[in-house]
Order: sequence, then C-alpha cells, then structure tokens
Amino acid sequence: MSTGTLYTYPENFRAYKALIAAQYSGAKVKVADNFKFGETNKSAEFLKKFPSGKVPAFETADGKYLSESNAIAYFLASEQLRGGKCPFVQAQVQQWISFADNEIVPASCALVFPLLGILPQQRNSTAKQDVEGVLAQLNQKLLNVTYLAGERITLADIIVFSSLLHLYEYVLEPTARAEFGNVNRWFLTILNQPQVQAVVKDYKLCEKALVFDPKKYAEFQAKQGGGKPQQQQKPKEEKKPKEKKEAAPKKAAEPEELDAADEALALEPKSKDPFDALPKGTFNFDDFKRVYSNEEEAKSIPYFFEKFDPENYSIWFGEYKYSEELSKVFMSCNLITGMFQRLDKMRKQAFASVCLFGDDNNSTISGVWVWRGQELAFPLSPDWQIDYEVYDWKKLDAKSEETKKLVTQYFSWSGTDKGGRKFNQGKIFK
Amino acid sequence: MCDVAKVQKIAHCLGVAPGKVQLNEEQVVTRTSGQKKSVAGFATILESLANESKSETAQNSKVSREVEAQVYQWIEFSVLYVAPGSRDRNVAKQLLGDLNKLFASKSYLVGHFITLADLAVYYAIYDLVKSLSPVEKEAYLNLSRWFDHLQNRPDVHQGEPLLNFTTIYLHGWATGTHI
Repeated sequence: MSTGTLYTYPENFRAYKALIAAQYSGAKVKVADNFKFGETNKSAEFLKKFPSGKVPAFETADGKYLSESNAIAYFLASEQLRGGKCPFVQAQVQQWISFADNEIVPASCALVFPLLGILPQQRNSTAKQDVEGVLAQLNQKLLNVTYLAGERITLADIIVFSSLLHLYEYVLEPTARAEFGNVNRWFLTILNQPQVQAVVKDYKLCEKALVFDPKKYAEFQAKQGGGKPQQQQKPKEEKKPKEKKEAAPKKAAEPEELDAADEALALEPKSKDPFDALPKGTFNFDDFKRVYSNEEEAKSIPYFFEKFDPENYSIWFGEYKYSEELSKVFMSCNLITGMFQRLDKMRKQAFASVCLFGDDNNSTISGVWVWRGQELAFPLSPDWQIDYEVYDWKKLDAKSEETKKLVTQYFSWSGTDKGGRKFNQGKIFK
Repeated sequence: MCDVAKVQKIAHCLGVAPGKVQLNEEQVVTRTSGQKKSVAGFATILESLANESKSETAQNSKVSREVEAQVYQWIEFSVLYVAPGSRDRNVAKQLLGDLNKLFASKSYLVGHFITLADLAVYYAIYDLVKSLSPVEKEAYLNLSRWFDHLQNRPDVHQGEPLLNFTTIYLHGWATGTHI
C-alpha cells in the first residue's frame, strides 16, 4: 500500500483529488505540516525534489517524487477508481480528467477568482457563459448515467467534482443551479460519500453568489506591492499560471468563431471614446496639462480657473472610503497608481491630483478630479468601474471660493486633510 | 417476479446462501437456512440476509439508525405497493411517475449509496420496466438512469440479459421492419 507525504496549502481543491483517492484505496497519506505557501515550496530543498515549485506535490515513503495533482491522485487510487479492469472505462476516466482540466478549471477560475479579489474583472469576459456551457454538457451526460465512467465512482467523478467545488461554493446560488438538476444530484451524491466527507469538511453549497467587489481586488493588489498589473496578476496560488496558459490558446481561437455581427459588437466599444457623446466646450486639457507640467503652480492654477469651462466640464472631490484600513504608505500609493492605470482611457478628457495625507497606519487618500461632462464619468465605460466605488464622490461648485482653495491645495500638493494629517505624497493623473 | 425469486436474487446480491425459500400454507414467503431456523415475511427475511452479509450493500444499509429505518420503509413500500401496483396499468403509471420524480434529485433511494432499499424496489419493478416500450422509457429518464445503473452491476443482473435503455430507440424499430 502506498504511503507518503503530500505538500499543499489547506483547502486546495487539487490536493483534495489525491486525498479522496487515498480514502478509497486506504493509502496512508500524511499532509506535511508547517507548509507555508510561497516559502516552503520556494525553498531550495523543495525545488530539488519538485523543480516546478508547485503544489500539491507528493513524496513517497521510499523517497520518490510526484507532482501534478492528477498523477498523484492516480498513484494513490484504488483499482476501482482507476476505471477497473475495462480499458474503455479507464479511457473514459482519462477523458473526464482532461475535460476537468481543459474546460472546467479555466472557466471556473476566470469566473471565481475576480470575485475572490485575486484577479481583476475582465471586460467582455465569457467566463459566465463558459461555465454555463460546461454545466449544460455535464447535465446532459448525467441525465442518463449515475457516475461519469462505468457504474462505480471513479477518478473521473472525484476530479470533476473537485474542479466544481469553487463554483458550487461561491457562484451557483440555488436559482443559478436549478437548471442543472442532474449535475446537482450527482454533485451531492459524490459530496456525501463517506470517503469524500472525510476530506472535504464543512463544505456548504452557495446560498448567495459572490459579486465583484472592487475593494477586495484593490486590497489584494496593494498587498502584492507591485506597480504593474502584470506583476499583480502573478500567482498567489499555483493554479493561475496554468490557467493562463490554458486560457490563452482558447482566446486565440475564439475570434474565428465569432460571426460578423458579434465582431461588430465586440469592436464597437473599443473605437469609441465614451466622452465623445458629451459636448466639447472650450477647455483644452492638453494645453492645461502642458502649462501645469512646465510652469510653477502660481501660474498654472490661475491659468486653470481662467480657461475652465464650467458649462461642459466639472470638478469633483473624491475621498477613499476605507482610510482606516490603510497601512503602509507605499501600499496606499500603489492603490492610487493602480487606479490611474485602470483609468488609462480616461486620461485624454480628465485630470486629477490625488494626495495621500498622514503616515503609515494613519493616513487618508483624497483628490480633486476634473473631467468633461457634468455627471460622474466612471459609469460611462465598464472599463472605469473597477475602483470608483471605493471612493466617495462630491461635485464641487466651480465658482465658489472654497473650491478655489481646495483646487489650489491639491494642485500644489500642500496643506492637510480634514483630520489635520500632513500632506505626504501626491500623484497626478494626466 | 415472485417473492421467492426476489429473495433468492437479493441473497445472491448480498453474497449469502439463500437456504430453502418457499411459500408456506398461508402463501407467505419463508426462508429456512442452515441451522433449521425459519423466518417468515419478506422484510424479515431481507433483514436476516443483511445480517449474514458482509457485502458493501448490506453494510451501507446499516450505517445509521435513520438509514436503517428508511431502508425498512422502502422494503415495506415495495411489498405493499410497488409489487401489487405494478400489475395495474394506472397504478403503475402513477408509480413510475413518482419514482422518476424522486430520482431527479437522488442517485439512490436512501442516503447517497446503494442499499437494500434499491434492491427491493429494483426487483419489485423489474417486470414492469421490462414491459415498457422504448418511448415509454423515455418519459422516465431519471428512473431509467437509476435502473440501468443497478442492472449493470454484476451482483444485480446475475447473468440476466440487460434491458435496453439506449435513447436511440429507432434502431430497434427499424430492424423489426425488415422481417
């Protein structure tokens, strides 16, 4: 009987495959304690055994090494789980393992990770449709069969089940899963097997689907510390690089499938600047930005008020809602620059100076924004809606003295916030 | 399928020697096993078989008091309602519809694994399901799935030819027309 040690972080759905398989075969598997993700699996000792540095990874009692969750699950499985003696059923098991990896996991991750705040929300994401497509396929299959391969539970069931765990936990609320009755029936059957219960503890089906929370993503990003989006998307968990790899070829293939109408629809938003719909007015952002960059504030701020066109443009004050949660200054700055990056397409018709006041663990973020139009600009484009909800927005009266003072303060990076915290750093959006 | 045959089939499923199974003078099924001990009544006999068996199905039927009680309930149901009902067309239709509805959300009758309840109901409706035309079976897809799943287990079909549940039923019709 196989014995050995499994390296993984807790509640890893990939590790579940191996642990459930071991429950069926009676293999003795010890989960490595003291495993720290990002530390243990990056250590020289670990990399010597498992060059990929990915988990789950398995070390047999006699010192052999296995990586890749499906391989580990296969190694630990019983004959029944591997498909029994019939080569056809064994092949079916492999078929469903590939289905789980190629169809379910990429779609599931693309849908669930943004909701958990690990990835940014993608515009025009097809994740939801992909997930529904996959579930519809499974639902059709499971109308006529009790288990996916043969008449007993196999690795096909365990691996497809494990790949669906995130969806059933975070997204498939009762109304969303109602149309996939056969999948639900099968999922509950697998979930309630004693061997599965021994591994997947305290699992609850989704009551209410998670919705995208820009704050969660912003926080996650700030913790990552990097400035560039590419870096921020670097994995917290081993599954993402894989997911990306798998998603890429699929994306490349997709445009071919689009028909002309879809293509036109897909292209339309790109070619259009959402501000185009609003009247142009007389204020020229490019001119002002040039003056602001080249001249002292003593000149550029009066220039701003001289040229400003209150008919067609507006001034706004935006204040970060969760300042009590801000910790390190550099993290807060990442929050601001990250937001600027995501608003890139807005630059042409907007200008902002956003300042951080105070110090580590006692700071606030607020800024003065100017853009074309009289309404909040962010709802104009789905691209711009990632961050703005974490700010309180107040429109300023362009003619009042107060506004003048505020604009002067923020454009010249000086003064204090409402709580008396001193100016620390400023970022310009131009 | 008569009670005697059902008891013998289920005994085989459970890997237990059925002993001597017959109807007594009151037409109640009785079982006399090795030590000349005799038990009467379908449900009681099934219980005695389960107690002697080490099979997965027998173990599953006893995992908890609730499961045990529910299994017993289904066995009684199969004796009192399913077996007689399946001989009447109208009752049978209702019965099949109810079971089909039940299996929309369940893989097995009790809990999430095969138990004696499945075996009892399976053998009780075997003749009825066998008599269904392919089109009729299409109306009970969930029930068909459960039935097909059970009949594919070697311990359940016991060498009998499998009933056809393929949804491409035209094949069977077309071959018939060539005669």
